[in-house]
Amino acid sequence: MATRIVAAPGKIRSKNNSLVWLSAASLVVFFIIWYGLVESGIISKALLSPPAEVLTTFISKFSNRAPDGATLGAHFKTSLTLALTGYITAVVVGAPLGLLMGWYKKVDSIVKPIFEVIRPIPPIAWIPLAILWFGIGLPAKAFIIWLSAFVPSVINSYAGIKLTEPVLINMSRTFGATNWETFLRVGVPSALAMVFTGLRLSLSSAWMTLVAAELLAATEGLGYMIQMGRTLARPDVIIVGMLTIGLTGAAMAFILERFEGKLAPWRRS
Amino acid sequence: MTNNGRKIKIQVQNLTKRFGDLLVLNNISFNVYEGEFLCIVGPTGCGKTTFLNVLTKLHPATEGDIYIDGEPANPQKHNISFVFQEPSTMPWLTVEQNIRYGLEVKKVPEEEIKKRLNQVMELVGLKDFRNYYPRQLSASMDQRVVIARAFAINPDLLLMDEPYSQLDIKLRYYLEDEVIRIWREMKRTVIFVTHNIEEAVYLAERILILTPKPATIKKEIKVDLPRPRNFADPEFVNIRNQVTEMIKWW
Repeated sequence: MATRIVAAPGKIRSKNNSLVWLSAASLVVFFIIWYGLVESGIISKALLSPPAEVLTTFISKFSNRAPDGATLGAHFKTSLTLALTGYITAVVVGAPLGLLMGWYKKVDSIVKPIFEVIRPIPPIAWIPLAILWFGIGLPAKAFIIWLSAFVPSVINSYAGIKLTEPVLINMSRTFGATNWETFLRVGVPSALAMVFTGLRLSLSSAWMTLVAAELLAATEGLGYMIQMGRTLARPDVIIVGMLTIGLTGAAMAFILERFEGKLAPWRRS
Repeated sequence: MTNNGRKIKIQVQNLTKRFGDLLVLNNISFNVYEGEFLCIVGPTGCGKTTFLNVLTKLHPATEGDIYIDGEPANPQKHNISFVFQEPSTMPWLTVEQNIRYGLEVKKVPEEEIKKRLNQVMELVGLKDFRNYYPRQLSASMDQRVVIARAFAINPDLLLMDEPYSQLDIKLRYYLEDEVIRIWREMKRTVIFVTHNIEEAVYLAERILILTPKPATIKKEIKVDLPRPRNFADPEFVNIRNQVTEMIKWW
């Protein structure tokens, strides 16, 4: 009996270990195929750099400004500032607006017609107007990112609060709670899971739009770096830029998930 | 309607509810006495839920009104608790926070809240689970949280809408005894709605039988049996048959 109790966690760990190995193996195979394709000449080195070269460029870009005029750190900082500015201002407005629209019919009636028309317009379609209004500085790009993050945060908060259990609303009302009190203490917490889904979708949307915005009009940033890589025919620079974008996006999603776990402890299993 | 000189707590007067042309509640009038346990039974679909929603002012009545201590009922002024058919604990709050909810809405002073919390959690046996989330509780414990929350505000009127209809028989018997025990301890006025005749006879001091839609009161039956009641007692069976006949022969 005692041995079984001791053995059980070990079994679980070895199972987890084998899953980790599986993930590692998949990465290794991916790099081998990449390496093989380039080294065997199936894909020309001018079009795709081998993994080792990408790694070297990645490391050297930490201090080297060539060939695109700024270090990786500087590009990264520009992009991150831009994305977070647009993202945070969007969700600070979008999530509460969605919640209010979902709860108060009057707010819904006022906002919905405008929102429904703006919603299907892809954020990049705003680029010309944004440049016309704000020039090609940070405000124009922040505006486009703001729009791209705004829409999912509104929609998900709206849908989330609409799903509040009617029985909980009735419970609160029979206790004599005002509508506003019920909104804050029943509607909002019950919508929190969907609000966070919105925050996640907004984040990926903001990050993706960032690159599109920078490809068009920028002097610094990860999108600009990729664009310069193409102009200078440097696939290694392009791939370094892409990898940085991918890793940062994943890291931000991870941080947001942690934050959600802190804010919604009742959902932790 | 003499009731051993007990004071009238709740007066329902000429309560009528129409949805357009559809008459759901037809001129319902009755009194509930202070500290009474009243059961209302009726055929399924007779408008029980509408009746309760009008009673608690969730929906406005078309005509008539309900008075608590002689004043028109008002959830913001009176203490009304509602135990719903569906689970109604808030999953984002712990047991203790759930029970606090009504007290906080009523703006009861913190010191008093603490006192009442201890009292009701003791009463329903949830003291050791105060920091658990509903997800971590069994169905019966979850219902006990709801009952504790309902009793914690010292309700002038406690409404229970088929609260045990979704539980299995064993749990139902257990919670029926529990609610009687808590009711006797807290001395509250309870209206318990059910379509289960045996449950009504087991719990009630008085049973009101409703007609099918449009609902009105068909008959009032007093249940003057000692507690705990025995399902096999000939007197119990007699009353149960009486109620069954009333419901069967419309």
